[in-house]
Amino acid sequence: MGKEIADFIINGTKYEEIIEPHMLLVDVIRDKIGLTGTKIACWAGDCGACTVLIDGLPILSCLTLAVTAKGKNITTVEGLADGHELHPIQKAYEEKGGVQCGYCSPGMLMSTKYLLDENPNPTREEIGEALAGNLCRCTGYVKIVDSVEYAAEIMEKGGTKQ
Amino acid sequence: MHRVLLPFEFFEPTTVNEVLELLDGEKTKVLAGGLDLVLDSRLRKIGLNKVISLQKIPDLDYVKYDPENGLSFGAMATMRQIEQFPAVKKKWQSLYEGIHTIVSVQTKIMGTAVGNICVGTPVSDIAPPLFTLGAKVKIIGKNGEKTVPIESFFVDLGKTILEPHEIVTEISVPEQATGTGSAFMKLGKTAEDIAKINVAVTVNLKDGICQKAKIALGAVAATPIRATEAEEAVKGLELDDRCIEKAAEAAAERVKPITDVRSTAQYRKEMVKVLVRDSFKLAIARASE
Repeated sequence: MGKEIADFIINGTKYEEIIEPHMLLVDVIRDKIGLTGTKIACWAGDCGACTVLIDGLPILSCLTLAVTAKGKNITTVEGLADGHELHPIQKAYEEKGGVQCGYCSPGMLMSTKYLLDENPNPTREEIGEALAGNLCRCTGYVKIVDSVEYAAEIMEKGGTKQ
Repeated sequence: MHRVLLPFEFFEPTTVNEVLELLDGEKTKVLAGGLDLVLDSRLRKIGLNKVISLQKIPDLDYVKYDPENGLSFGAMATMRQIEQFPAVKKKWQSLYEGIHTIVSVQTKIMGTAVGNICVGTPVSDIAPPLFTLGAKVKIIGKNGEKTVPIESFFVDLGKTILEPHEIVTEISVPEQATGTGSAFMKLGKTAEDIAKINVAVTVNLKDGICQKAKIALGAVAATPIRATEAEEAVKGLELDDRCIEKAAEAAAERVKPITDVRSTAQYRKEMVKVLVRDSFKLAIARASE
């Protein structure tokens, strides 16, 4: 199998891209499709900045061959907001100071999305465990955990900020 | 640092037999979760002509348990699946702890346990538990099928007994006898980092007497190793503090770790003693439950 035209379903939109087997998913998402919300930092699976959801599960797009993600449902950080209306998780991060430089945020948000899909009422410890694969060098994590707790709270009340 | 992978041919067979037909040498590699394969390929640690994905083969992602055969998991079973499998936490505590100390959720969702073993790293957090729990590795190749104890699977740094024409399809862990407890401990620079050293202990007690003890150590040699002298030293004895201390010293005596960016050899040796002692105590407590 060499060069091919592959379908990628990202945030509900289908993209046709010419890919080769050695191409990484993160490169297809960022450079070919142009969704640069997904970030790259370590290129080695340590930092979690490149986290996207495939069929609802958080994966590292810098260690995923694009060819293995063909036809699967991919969600990137751009898929969280509804038009100009931020997702409750994004609102919570904004409100509680879970974003400082913002570089880790796309990955953090995707891991948070997975956590709250699985467990709508996590404890602080569970939040810590769920985000252990995402590094942040600014916040010291306390405000990120606060944000996730707050996101859980506002999502429980119907997804809107009080 | 290289930014992209070099081109290779890619195959997505749907049966194990097709995989075996495609396997044709050192530069043909099998893709399971892809964590190490993609990283090592990007870093040019490995050269790839062909990549054969196992992801399209149905029924390799199982984790199952029955009282007769114990626990078994297929080549595509992820760390996350095994960690969340209820019987694992209850019956194979050290295996659960080994996986649980890999903190990144993404890594556990992508990474397979079989892949972790096939990489042949001495730093694996699941190898020491599997060494002490009596795990067996099922290998399928062009010449047929065989099952080997996991200790004989590891050969050298990054090297296993797996021939280029073979793949591992399953790892199985037997049911543990009554009175058995196990524990795993790891020392790392941070919770996210790989182990400086790690230790697994499985102990079987009857009326307070040690019937059998197995101790495995990671990151202190080119492969994970068993501390057989220490195991022998406690057999048939009542496991009091002095006895455990003696076993811990025997285990530390056995290892010749290296100095690297994570720790000095001397520190590693000292800490083997501490971790063996502590995990022994935890395993004994669990065996007595």
